[in-house]
Amino acid sequence: MRLEKCWFCSSTVYPGHGICFVRNDSKMFRFCRSKCHKNFKMKRNPRKVKWTKAYRAIHGKDLSADNIFNFERRRNRPVRYNRELTHKTLAALRTVDEIRTKRDKRHYEQRMKGISDRVRRKDKSELQKQVHLVKAPTSAVQIAQTTREKVAVSKYTSLSILYE
Amino acid sequence: MQYNFKKIAVVPPASEFIDAVLSRTQRQTPTVVHAGYAVTRIRQFYMRKVKYTQQSWNEKLSRILEDFPRVDDVHPFYGDLLNVLYDKDHYKLALGQLNTARAMIDKIAKDYVKLLKYGDSLYRCKQLKRAALGRMCTIMKKHAASLAYLEQVRQHMSRLPSIDPNTRTILVCGYPNVGKSSFMNKVTRADVEVQPYAFTTKSIYVGHTDYKYLRWQVLDTPGILDRPLDERNTIEMQSITALAHLRAVVLYIVDISEQCGFTIAQQAALFHSIKPLFANKPLVVAINKIDVRKLEDLSEADRSLIDGMRDAMRGPAAMQLGDDDAFPIMSTLSENGVMEVKNRCCDLLLAHRVEQKLASRRAGEVMNRLHVATPVPRDNKARPAYVPPTLEASRARKAAGEKIITEKDLQEQNGGAGVYSADLRKRYMLENDDWKYDIVPEIYNGKNVADFIDPEIEAKLAELEREEEELEAKWEASRMDREPQEPELDEDERALLGEVRTRRNKLVAEHRRKKSAANNNPVVPRKADAERKLNTSNMKESLESMGLDASAAVERARSRSRVVKRGRSTLRDRDEDMSNADGEDKKKMRTSKSRSKSVAKRVGDDKGAGFKSVDDRMRAAKLADKAQRKRNKQAKAGEADRSIGNTLPKWLNSGKRGNGKTDRR
Repeated sequence: MRLEKCWFCSSTVYPGHGICFVRNDSKMFRFCRSKCHKNFKMKRNPRKVKWTKAYRAIHGKDLSADNIFNFERRRNRPVRYNRELTHKTLAALRTVDEIRTKRDKRHYEQRMKGISDRVRRKDKSELQKQVHLVKAPTSAVQIAQTTREKVAVSKYTSLSILYE
Repeated sequence: MQYNFKKIAVVPPASEFIDAVLSRTQRQTPTVVHAGYAVTRIRQFYMRKVKYTQQSWNEKLSRILEDFPRVDDVHPFYGDLLNVLYDKDHYKLALGQLNTARAMIDKIAKDYVKLLKYGDSLYRCKQLKRAALGRMCTIMKKHAASLAYLEQVRQHMSRLPSIDPNTRTILVCGYPNVGKSSFMNKVTRADVEVQPYAFTTKSIYVGHTDYKYLRWQVLDTPGILDRPLDERNTIEMQSITALAHLRAVVLYIVDISEQCGFTIAQQAALFHSIKPLFANKPLVVAINKIDVRKLEDLSEADRSLIDGMRDAMRGPAAMQLGDDDAFPIMSTLSENGVMEVKNRCCDLLLAHRVEQKLASRRAGEVMNRLHVATPVPRDNKARPAYVPPTLEASRARKAAGEKIITEKDLQEQNGGAGVYSADLRKRYMLENDDWKYDIVPEIYNGKNVADFIDPEIEAKLAELEREEEELEAKWEASRMDREPQEPELDEDERALLGEVRTRRNKLVAEHRRKKSAANNNPVVPRKADAERKLNTSNMKESLESMGLDASAAVERARSRSRVVKRGRSTLRDRDEDMSNADGEDKKKMRTSKSRSKSVAKRVGDDKGAGFKSVDDRMRAAKLADKAQRKRNKQAKAGEADRSIGNTLPKWLNSGKRGNGKTDRR
């Protein structure tokens, strides 16, 4: 019993889940769910479909090319069972997993660096450019205030200074 | 060459033959001729009849002559057999007569065609034709006997067994009733009749048997009596023919019990009298019916006679086999020794045939091409097969009488099949035997444990942890770079931005809605705006909501659409305004009684509505409806259907023009 990787989205396929397609050249294609299978049948390239692991790895969304991934490797040569080695392996598995989580987090933070600056700058410019939608230009406002007291503009007084 | 006489076509009797030919002529040639025709045409008509009849005779007779085998051309065995069965002279004569008849018919046709050339009237031509056909038929009638004979011969020949004179053959012969057919029945699948009287078998029978993966033909011949050749009857002659001409092994069967009615002495005499026929052939003398009388019970005289036959049996082929002393004995009743006899016959014949082939000229060519390799051992070293040491050990234990407990034994001890489950782990070869029954996780935390198993995992993990510490430290050091530089918007600004976005979203949504509506509908003038949104009051409202004084804009817009009123109305307008300002009741002003309300003449629900009566109106409506109703064409072609008026226009389809006029074709 093995956990396989989905051919399309690279997620883990647990025993009893998904479907396996064997092409007539005997290549096996495992899919974690019908969504992936259907996408495969539509001949989509997983590298171009945004929700797949392949896309995310290529586009730098997820951590890839890291030493952490060297631990997990398919071993086709069977090794005779050894209790101590298995114990060590299980312990290592946990450690590796923790380190990977940390690195993932760091990768995300690195990726998101500077994004709040960008957002703030954008907000500011948006406000500057489009305030006329809710508020008349300053000169007009002033005329209105002098001629008629009908409309209350006190709400945005602080802004009138801003847009002079 | 295949000797199959089953395909000879039927030879019809003379009268039928004539009918067939004449009716064929009648059917296949023209039948109507008139005296008024040109005489050449009449001549031709009758000549054709004569020639056609001659042709059909020729065809049919040639067919017969071709089908029947010629005695000189077939294998001598068949030639002699035909002679014995049908009398060669008679057979040849019949065929010869047909051949002559064919030639005569040809001659007649030729003569009468010549005569017909001089026929000067329809009558004369007809008479000539009659004479020709009549003579042809007379000739054939004369040969009726030959035809009948040939038909009988054909029927008999079609029932002859298909004997291949050139294959491996066992020829069984002997006195009548010695057990030839019984032997045949035992050896082959042929079902030959066996009866306890002489000459049960009246012709040659063929059966097939297998020996050494070869196919063997077994011929059962009728019995032969010991008398001169001239006195032999047809049945015996068939056997003699077969003996004389077939290159086969001869199996001479001797009835030891003398139940067949012939003594051993008689049988030996027959053997010696037909011995010349066995020359150059392998020969087996088999003693039959030993279930009745044993070989040992024979008298001295009989014994010596049989020994005499055995001496004749010794030939070069038998010498080659090397066991010429063995005397084949059998009993077709109890099937003792039958197979030995058959095998001996076959072996002899095979040896004989090989010898013959070797003696022939072609043997040398074949022998030159053959090479039989016999490897010579290079040294005296023994090279036995390899036996694994474990196997040797286990053999030794077995030899010592040790009982090896198998899984099967264990199963029997522990409840039998279905209850006992074999322990597969007990033979595991691990470093420590305690580990044999460990429960090993295959999957841990969404990973395959097997993928992580690595003897150097500790070192690698230590390396990874060290690397991780370094990276972590670096990350902490660069914390300050990651802090945002830009100041954040304050409370008011954020609220205002929210409003801006709401407003913009609304505008966009409104625009999209209108756009999509416009795409589906005809473009309407702006003043026909369905929602009546684009009016002055809305403009005023929106301007005022932004804090602008809209009064000037409203005034200008209204001034455009306001109708210029006449004097009184303007006054009234002003009055209204004034009264409004005064706050008086509007209604009061309207209900002035200065003049009575004028009433227009109502037209709508008039009964006739311009017509004389309601009936007229209804009729008119009906007529109007009818005039406007579209005709139901019931799938007939209408003006919209494609139609080609002239399918073959002359100017397109008539041929080339000649040298003359060019204006028409």
